[in-house]
Order: sequence, then structure tokens, then C-alpha cells
Amino acid sequence: MISLRADRSDFAAGARAMVPWLAGIVPFGLVIGVSAAQADVPTLAGWLTGPLIYAGSSQLATIGMLDAGAAPVIVVASALIINIRLIFYSATMARYWRDTPRWWRLVAAYLIVDPSVAVGLDGYQRLGRGRGHAHYLGGAVVLWVSWLAAIAAGAMAGASWPAWLHLEFVIPLYLAGQATAKLTKPAQRRAILAAATVALLALSAPLQLGTALAIAAGVTAGLTAEVRR
Amino acid sequence: MSTWIVIVAAGLGSYLFRLSMIILTSRIRMPSYLERASGLVAPAAFAALAAAGVAGACSSLGITGAAAPLAAVAAAVIAVLRTGSPQAAILAGMPALWVATALLPS
Repeated sequence: MISLRADRSDFAAGARAMVPWLAGIVPFGLVIGVSAAQADVPTLAGWLTGPLIYAGSSQLATIGMLDAGAAPVIVVASALIINIRLIFYSATMARYWRDTPRWWRLVAAYLIVDPSVAVGLDGYQRLGRGRGHAHYLGGAVVLWVSWLAAIAAGAMAGASWPAWLHLEFVIPLYLAGQATAKLTKPAQRRAILAAATVALLALSAPLQLGTALAIAAGVTAGLTAEVRR
Repeated sequence: MSTWIVIVAAGLGSYLFRLSMIILTSRIRMPSYLERASGLVAPAAFAALAAAGVAGACSSLGITGAAAPLAAVAAAVIAVLRTGSPQAAILAGMPALWVATALLPS
């Protein structure tokens, strides 16, 4: 049974467990808000990627590709390719939610994303299934509220800051930083170098297909590295 | 109009991904290679978008102007490699961009 009233302390513990994650997540949300304000898409549409897509890298790709004028089908396909990992998170959480009411599964599934799964799994493993639900929800709600607030704050700041700050360059730098930090693992290194190379070679590809091609090339190169090892 | 449809479609698809295994879990087993591939998608996407973003910024500035964003990326990459923190990219890269833009002849 889902009994959140009885599990208030577990809900609060889940919320507290999410706080350290916010140090990395809030700046990412701000960057996405800035990109929404700088891009050639309505700022509200950019913010709506938060509650609708609710996965940072996919949101950033969607806003960036819409800004570049990519074909709608290519944008949706790229956003979904980036979000394939959500299927694995869904499989991971499914075992804990098997006998829960439908409303719970519909709401809890909506909140699935990297940090909420990490905090939620920790709660299920330490507290068991019964108390784990409130722990998951506590962390996931704090994350959701913080994420949407950070995007809104970034969008407001990005729209009013002077042009000489070149805030449009925050996004490529953020992405370059994320990619550089992942260069330490061989498979990821191959994926990153192959994706960047193909992206540069395919800059003039029609419909902004270059990004999708580059992601496919990167994943293939990374998988090849794993097989060889 | 298509902007809104794209965002709603990507959101709906993402929600279906989230629900998929919760509904199908007893019937389907995920192949292991897909699980490995999912860990590589985000780094590949970050690298592809970063490379395309930097190249796009450089191409609109000409050879001299392109030096500023390239200097910013170089500063960002060095900062991340030295500190191990991805956040260092913006902290080092943006000031490098401002300084390079101010120093370069316009």
C-alpha cells in the first residue's frame, strides 16, 4: 500500500538525500534556461521541455536543434535516442512497483530520471519496498521542483543579460566540459571522439542530420571498444 | 507551431519510455548490448552537440573572430582535465572568451 501520511519521515529523508545532487543539477537547469532564452524558439516552449521531456541532455538537444532549424522528425528522434536510458530505469524500478496502484505507477514513472532513480534505489535497498515509495517520492519531488525553478531562473537571466557576455556560448562550453570529464573511460573516450569527429564532418548535412549521425557513430565506436576489451 | 508539437511529441515519447518496462517487465527482457549502448549515448550526444555548437559559432565569426571561441574551448578543456570537474568548463571558458574577444581586433 502507498501510505504517504504514515511515511512522512521517509519522504523527508528522500528529499534530504536529493539535496547533494542539486549542486550539479541546478547549474545544468540554469544553462538550459539560458539556452531557451537565447535560442530562436519561444522561451515558454523552451521552459516546457522541463515538465514535458524532463531529462536535461535531451532537453538541451531539442532546444539546440530547434534553434538550428532541424526537421521536426529529426529533433524528436534525437531527443528519444538520448532518452533510451529511461527504458532501463523503467525496468529497474518496475520490480519495486509491481503491486502498487495504477495512479502511483503513472505518477512515479513520470518522475523517473537519473538522480531520482539513484536516490530512490538507495531508499528501496535500505528501507524495503513499503517505506521506499515515500523515500523515492520525497527525492523525486524536490528534484522536479528545483529543476523547473532553475530552468525558469536561467530563462529570465538569459533574456536580460547583455550581448557582450555571449551567453549563447555557455551551452557548447557546458557540453564540452561534460564530454571532457568522461574521457577517462576507454569506451566513452572512443564514443566522444567519434561523435565529435562525425559531427564536424557532417556539419552541412541536410535537416541537421549530423547530430543524430554523430550520436550513432559515437555509440557504435564505444561498443566496439567494449567488445575488443 | 511545429516547435510546440516537437516538444510535446518528445515529451510524450519520453513518458512512454518511462512507463514501458513498468507495464511490460514480465514479458520482455532487454538485450545486454542495448544496456551498454545506453551508457554511451549521453557522452556521444554531448560531444556531438559541443562540436557542432563550437563550429557553428566559429563559422559565423571568420578566421580572426573564431580564435576567441576556440581559446575558450581550449581553456575549458584544460580546466576540466586539470580539476576533473565538468563545471570548470564554464568557469574557465567564459572569462577566456571575454578576454580573447576584447583583445582580438574586431
